[in-house]
Amino acid sequence: MGHATSQRIETLPAPLQGIVQTIFDWIPLGILVVLWEFASGTFVAESILPPPTIVLSRIVELIVTGDVFSHLFISLFRITVGLGLSILVGVLLGIGMARSKPVENFFDIFLSMTYPIPKTALVPLAILWLGVGTETAILIVFLACLLPVVLNAYNAANDVNQSLVWAAQMMGTSERAMLFKVVFPATIPEIMTGIRQAVPIAFVALVSAELIASNQGMGYLILTSGQIGNYPRMFANIVIISAVAFVAVRGFEEARNRVLVWT
Amino acid sequence: MDGRVTISELEKVYGEGPERTKAIDDLSFDVEGGEFVSVVGPSGCGKSTLLYLIAGFLDTTSGTIAVDGEPISGPGTDRGVVFQDYALFPWRTVFENVTYGLEESGVPKEERQTTAQKYIDLVDLDGFEDKYPKELSGGMKQRVGIARTLAYEPKILLMDEPFGALDQPLREALQDQLIDIWDDLGKTIVFITHDVEEAVYLSERVLIMTRHPGTKKTVTEIDLDRSGSREDIVTSDAFAQYKNAVWKSLHEETQTEVTL
Repeated sequence: MGHATSQRIETLPAPLQGIVQTIFDWIPLGILVVLWEFASGTFVAESILPPPTIVLSRIVELIVTGDVFSHLFISLFRITVGLGLSILVGVLLGIGMARSKPVENFFDIFLSMTYPIPKTALVPLAILWLGVGTETAILIVFLACLLPVVLNAYNAANDVNQSLVWAAQMMGTSERAMLFKVVFPATIPEIMTGIRQAVPIAFVALVSAELIASNQGMGYLILTSGQIGNYPRMFANIVIISAVAFVAVRGFEEARNRVLVWT
Repeated sequence: MDGRVTISELEKVYGEGPERTKAIDDLSFDVEGGEFVSVVGPSGCGKSTLLYLIAGFLDTTSGTIAVDGEPISGPGTDRGVVFQDYALFPWRTVFENVTYGLEESGVPKEERQTTAQKYIDLVDLDGFEDKYPKELSGGMKQRVGIARTLAYEPKILLMDEPFGALDQPLREALQDQLIDIWDDLGKTIVFITHDVEEAVYLSERVLIMTRHPGTKKTVTEIDLDRSGSREDIVTSDAFAQYKNAVWKSLHEETQTEVTL
């Protein structure tokens, strides 16, 4: 089916191909929205499943009045700091573990033990230590994103091609400089893969933390809209944060492809 | 002439206890400065190990390797390796790969660029300076590998089956290019190969190694008139005789392998 479609697309002039492909990509979502519009008020009561047209008007309202922005910005700030910290610590830890046996032995047990724990289960504990608000959200995002970054960096730094290290050695690169000259650049593609895995996880962790432990942010907005029974507004906020997460993932992929021209 | 390699009573053992295997046993061999020596042997004879020992990547178990009388201790810029898998830095362009060694030795930028360009031109890669390794064919990658190693001007080139992954016409072209480079630059070359014809065609002497543990079996001097074309050389009687001699000696070793 997909094959037949793409073959037909190939017969179109080049500039049209991209546009047509994009339309095809969005058709499933379009179908879902139409079904949703149809189901709302027929199979499901409109009060608990507001139709997309109403949700859309609420989205416009939230944007025009600017009500959403302060919450959106605080959420994005928390994500940026939490994810940024996880990248910084994760890369250092991953490469450190791969290059030094004592570092590996010391941290391995923590990572193995924390791996299966859903990081959102730590929200109550984080509230106890850091209170309700930004610090707790950042901590949860940081913890949730840390593992994919560490594991990808660690595996890649362990697998650096021996001949690359030898090649640098024969040209005079010292053991210390090897980290920056060879190990780190060789690890960048996998670090990018780790971050790509961490971006959606960051949104999951953030919204979960904000649902429980925040007086601001998109998670808080979703929760409070629901609590006061304003379901169109709840849906509108869910759609907004989903769209932002989608753009973040696509934006990161685009940036990654530009950085990794050499792979 | 500089670039003499002296190998005395070399022994290399991998592993310990029951895992212990002797890769190289009691190998003594000298390579003169400016000489082109090929090393052939059955697979697993430790010929690559020998090369990495000379490069200083691996430590000897006993015995010594000296360059111009100085025992080596680890890798050094007096020796340059050309790797079988090219070992180019994929995140660096062709030009940046070739300048790497010069950066590491602290050569000023302008001089780096002239030197790098000189060696890129030497291996016929002008126009490809800004390409990344992934954009190059195998033969081009190995030419970058050669240019990168030549650029920091080591006295000794250590080549580990550098053309092993390439098809026949390309191999021959690169072999001829290597001979030209050797004629021009007068480096000492130690060339690992499993291809008898390649060894005879390129070298002044061929060291044939025994199978496991590897040691010196025979050394064949190749005294060919190299003034003619490739066709003149490979179709000559002398070439056939050398090839047969090396092949026979090597074949005895591979025979042992089969009967074992």
